[in-house]
Amino acid sequence: MRSDVHPYIFDEFFASGREETISPFLTPSSRKWGKNLPLKSAIIAAILLALSFGLFFFHKEASYLCLSSVYFLVGTPALLNSIEDLRNMEINIDVLMTLAALLSIIIGSGLEGALLLVLFELSGAMENMVTEKTKGALYSLRKLSPKTALVVETDGTFVERAINEVEIGAPILVKAGEVVPLDGTVISGSSFVNLVHLTGESEPIAKRVEDTVQAGAYNLDGTLTLKVDRAASESTLSRIITLITQAQGAKPKLQRLFDKFGKRYSVTIILLSLFFALTFPYFFSIPFFGIEGSVYRALTFLIAASPCALIIATPTAYLSAISSCARKGVLLKGGVILDALASCSIIALDKTGTLTSGKLTCVEVAGIHNAQLPTQTALAIAAGLETHAVHPISEAILTQAAKQNVLPSEITDFKSVPGYGLQGNATIDGTSYPVFIGHPDFIAQQLDPALWMEKIGPWKTLNTFLLIGTSLYIFHFEDEIRKESFAALSSLQNEKNMKPVILTGDHTENAHVVADTLNIKTIYPNLRPEDKLKKVGELSKEGGLIMVGDGVNDAPALARATVGISMGKIGSATAVDASDVVFLHDDLSLLPWLIDKSRKTLRIVKENLALALAVICFATTPALLGYIPLWLAVILHEGGTVIVGLNSLRLLATDS
Amino acid sequence: MSRPPPPEHFQGKAVADHLKDARMKGAQASTETHGPQLPGPIAALLSCIKEISAAFLILYAILAALIPNEPLLFPLFACFGLGLIIWETGRSAIRGWGKLERLHRVIEEERWEIEHHREQEKEELTEMYAAKGFEGKLLEEVINVLMADDNRLLRVMLEEELGLSLEVYEHPLKQATGAFFGSLIASSCLLLSLFFWPILGLPITAILLIGIASFRSAKLEKRRQIYSMVWNIALLIFASSATYFLAKALS
Repeated sequence: MRSDVHPYIFDEFFASGREETISPFLTPSSRKWGKNLPLKSAIIAAILLALSFGLFFFHKEASYLCLSSVYFLVGTPALLNSIEDLRNMEINIDVLMTLAALLSIIIGSGLEGALLLVLFELSGAMENMVTEKTKGALYSLRKLSPKTALVVETDGTFVERAINEVEIGAPILVKAGEVVPLDGTVISGSSFVNLVHLTGESEPIAKRVEDTVQAGAYNLDGTLTLKVDRAASESTLSRIITLITQAQGAKPKLQRLFDKFGKRYSVTIILLSLFFALTFPYFFSIPFFGIEGSVYRALTFLIAASPCALIIATPTAYLSAISSCARKGVLLKGGVILDALASCSIIALDKTGTLTSGKLTCVEVAGIHNAQLPTQTALAIAAGLETHAVHPISEAILTQAAKQNVLPSEITDFKSVPGYGLQGNATIDGTSYPVFIGHPDFIAQQLDPALWMEKIGPWKTLNTFLLIGTSLYIFHFEDEIRKESFAALSSLQNEKNMKPVILTGDHTENAHVVADTLNIKTIYPNLRPEDKLKKVGELSKEGGLIMVGDGVNDAPALARATVGISMGKIGSATAVDASDVVFLHDDLSLLPWLIDKSRKTLRIVKENLALALAVICFATTPALLGYIPLWLAVILHEGGTVIVGLNSLRLLATDS
Repeated sequence: MSRPPPPEHFQGKAVADHLKDARMKGAQASTETHGPQLPGPIAALLSCIKEISAAFLILYAILAALIPNEPLLFPLFACFGLGLIIWETGRSAIRGWGKLERLHRVIEEERWEIEHHREQEKEELTEMYAAKGFEGKLLEEVINVLMADDNRLLRVMLEEELGLSLEVYEHPLKQATGAFFGSLIASSCLLLSLFFWPILGLPITAILLIGIASFRSAKLEKRRQIYSMVWNIALLIFASSATYFLAKALS
């Protein structure tokens, strides 16, 4: 009996560009056969090439048998790519390499041609492995976004409908534990919703009648009925998807520059070879064919000018650096990211979850009105109430109680009021008191308005209130700053000469607390995803910009920035996918190290490129004039390749 | 349904006729032209044993007719075997990828239809479920549930409109591995028989191999095994003897 197909597999499949490794038609056990096929075939071809080279001196036919396998395995894909490029009227390095490799057979240097093809396929396969990122970002967002909504019909029944079939104004039901499918306004019910992945705010937000709720918000406790405000295509999540797509399109691509150079280079070399082959007999009185002939010289020139060292100059350096970073827990999605990192002078950091741990910590319990009971007792009662709840504030109170060895009090007649708070009765010294904890509005209902204005009104964020009979207590929370933030920010400002700025969706007051503590002069608070994206665009004009973030709201900015860095542990899947770099251990102290590594990589890439170009210049001109025979041109050419490869390996060290 | 369907979707046909066309399209996408009828490495292995045995016996017949007094060259068959092994393995993989490409194109087209012709897809769904015996309010509810989730709808349309099965095909390379081993087994057996028993070894081994492979194939495909085995052996004998006599006549 075949296993059940999960509904998401189609989304993942289409997002991947119809990858056969996740094809819905293949059995799950056989999908792995298609994984990294170009790399596998390049490795097999490399082994066969080595075998062919070894056999060449003992048994030529056996050597050619192996060589034909090499051409089949790596030559066929190269030929197909070249045909595809030519059909699109493009003559690039792919075409040049394939042409040089195939023509090398004609002049009796099949081994050299095969070597070019193997190296070319290897570098291409490795590049593919590290640069597949953009497809995943949209997939994660789509996975987060519900596909259906429970529509309340006029007769009171519920019908599940695709979100793009739900009309504006239709009432939809969102149960506790579900993600809100469409932007809407609450028409009945109340609940706490968590927007941490949308706005970066870690505090649960109370939603009641007439409040608006964004698609993608997580409904924590109560049941909400919403009137749909926007069509699915215009919901908050859809807008974020659009923003990411646009940002990715607008992102600077160093690879494009290299392709552009490669295209011109290839056309020039091919035209020059053709020109030399056709005209040399007229200028230098040499024949067309034979070892001194113009065709032979032109082909030698073509092979010598094949940019093998040039091609591996960048990927090997990047791959060594990527490998070194991976051992440090820094995942780089593509080598060109290092190039971009080295060019950055501004670093924009999200606050919640990036500079701070993203987890609320209860830092103070204080009596603010008629507080006759000790704060320990207040904490015990709060812990007793919060034992029944699940949101971050409950976790912080229970952690604080455990830290102070305070046991939760026993609560009777417990009741949860979704979107407001918790209530019950607690017995202290034989007397039963009604107890309430939660949102200021909830506590205000139990107090007279004057007292409410005086005691609760001034408190704005990251607080919760506990009322025991007539005694009022406040619990103050903080989003803890990561310990490593201090050293990392200091090093970035003083040693790496980078300008740090904070971009946050959080309130000005909270942002200032963190900025002042970390000595960051520039902050931009209260930013929505589109504002962050706009700000990142503006800042990028001043110089290369690194954006460090973790939430879905950061995703467009991460994708738009010169380099996006996300936190692997705390970060949302979308942010991780949209970023270029992932800190697997959420360790900010690696930021200065990474900048160092990128600058060193850029230096080595430049050295490699200079060496590769020098070898090409040195080998091509004498080869054309007939001073360098083919075998020497090949040795110079491949020798340059080896030196470039060895130089790149210096980047493998992790202690720069 | 009162509204006439747009020509680009139903192409002027009734919904029922469109569904028949869709089934045909699904069948075309999921089969391999001239390849093993069943997907998978075992079917490929058995198919290759049959094809290699037939190719060897036909070549043997030609050589026996044209150069009867010459000793049959073992190296010639060894080279022929290597070529066939590479060819059969590669062809099996290419056929598998061809099928996968067609299936992926079909799924892409169906998804496009769902996104752009929802009303017509709903009509098709209604027609299909009405044919299954659903009617009235129940039919409406079933259609609403299926239309609510595009992923679920795509799966239903693939399986029920196009008649395709999900998660049943093996990867082309896995299938090609079966073909490789089938070709290798057949070539090795035939070469060994030629080496140790030069005159009758190869024909007898070829007949035995094709008989066993046909028997196993028929069992796999749930067909009559003896019937299939005899027909295949008869066909092989007919093909090789016809080749032999034609070669004799021409020489």
